[in-house]
Amino acid sequence: MKLHYYPGCTLKDKTTGLDISTREAMKRLDVELVEPDGWTCCGAEYPLTGEKIAGLAAPIRVLRQVRDEGGDIVVTTCSFCYSVLKRSNKALRDDPVKRKRINAFLRDDIQIDPLTKERTTGFADYNGEVQVLHLLEYLRDRVGFPRVRERIKRDLGMLPVAAYYGCRLLRPKEEMGFDEPDSPHLFEEFLEAVGCAAVDYPFKQECCGSYLAVSMPDAATEASYRVLRSAKMNGARAITVTCPLCFYNLDHRQETIKTAYLDFAGLPVLFFTQLLAWALGVDKALLGLGDHKVPADALFVERPAPEVRT
Amino acid sequence: MRVKLKSGPDQRKFIERIEELSGENVFACYQCGRCSAGCPMASEMDLLPNQIIRMVQMGLDEEVLRSKTLYLCASCFTCESRCPKGIDMARVMEAVRHVLDPKGQDAFGPCELTPELARELPQQVLVSVFRKFAK
Repeated sequence: MKLHYYPGCTLKDKTTGLDISTREAMKRLDVELVEPDGWTCCGAEYPLTGEKIAGLAAPIRVLRQVRDEGGDIVVTTCSFCYSVLKRSNKALRDDPVKRKRINAFLRDDIQIDPLTKERTTGFADYNGEVQVLHLLEYLRDRVGFPRVRERIKRDLGMLPVAAYYGCRLLRPKEEMGFDEPDSPHLFEEFLEAVGCAAVDYPFKQECCGSYLAVSMPDAATEASYRVLRSAKMNGARAITVTCPLCFYNLDHRQETIKTAYLDFAGLPVLFFTQLLAWALGVDKALLGLGDHKVPADALFVERPAPEVRT
Repeated sequence: MRVKLKSGPDQRKFIERIEELSGENVFACYQCGRCSAGCPMASEMDLLPNQIIRMVQMGLDEEVLRSKTLYLCASCFTCESRCPKGIDMARVMEAVRHVLDPKGQDAFGPCELTPELARELPQQVLVSVFRKFAK
């Protein structure tokens, strides 16, 4: 089965592990991921003021391309892309003024075929036809966690793992509709489906400091430390994320966190698709563990899955 | 905190502009403080989110625009999800940043990055930090 997949900019360069493991895992679930032709960056931030309407053009162009290729669903794994695509899509569905202005602007796009140099223009209006889903939602609603369980080849031995949602997956609730913003459970259900034990801890939906890691590094260090400490204190042996920026803050900046807070001893950070791919029988070399600053190799121990699973 | 109240056409214009840009009714706020209680960055702020919105209500433009709180908001929407009056505080913050500097000075621009950092950072963080803090 073919499915449109929007990787986003960071997955193609800095966090290839998330991209590779997603592709490998979905192959094992008989889903072929197809990227929309000529996709661009989604803009990373949904424009929060009414006047910055130009920020909607990039994500809508991606969604229109998906529709023109015959897709009715697009999945993403990055929380930022998911948030921008989903909110822009909803804005175009619900707001006739925005719909009219953005379509008037995008109608005159010119697309040049790289081989034939043929120019296409006069695109049909986009009215929010495509459905934007996060891969976790897709696994729950379209594939189904029972079917994921049936395909499991390796036992993760009830590894205690903390699910970290971060900010963009859950909020604003009315626009994202991903899960309950203050007591989410979708990520935990996923972890249990792949054979881990989900660790409950109070900081799973707190912010890791996000882009403040660049402009106010100390504030972000403290925010990330609070999340990691809470997960570790509740018995987690690893923390799982969906977002490349959460990964950067929790993994790449962990040395800084350790220097600033001497009571913290370190915690491996994983992408949720790495656990999924491993459980489904993907080779360790294809998990993309090379990007990790905190070594996570030791967590993946070869153990075949028991014969009967429910 | 002691503040000097002002009243005039400038104050009215400031409030109207913030409401127009953010699309939020700032006068719906009754100062329960849940936004500040949940804010992950509150410990670093000079003015708490509920103080910012109170000052916008009073039209204290200079005090609000001077605050470093504007550059500590990570738009994580914790305040939005907890506000009993349905105000999206992240939108108010964005609107204040928007009116802040008509001359177009970056609060955080590309020249503040070292080449080493620029190589290491994920693309999305650069796009988002400049979208938020650069003109």
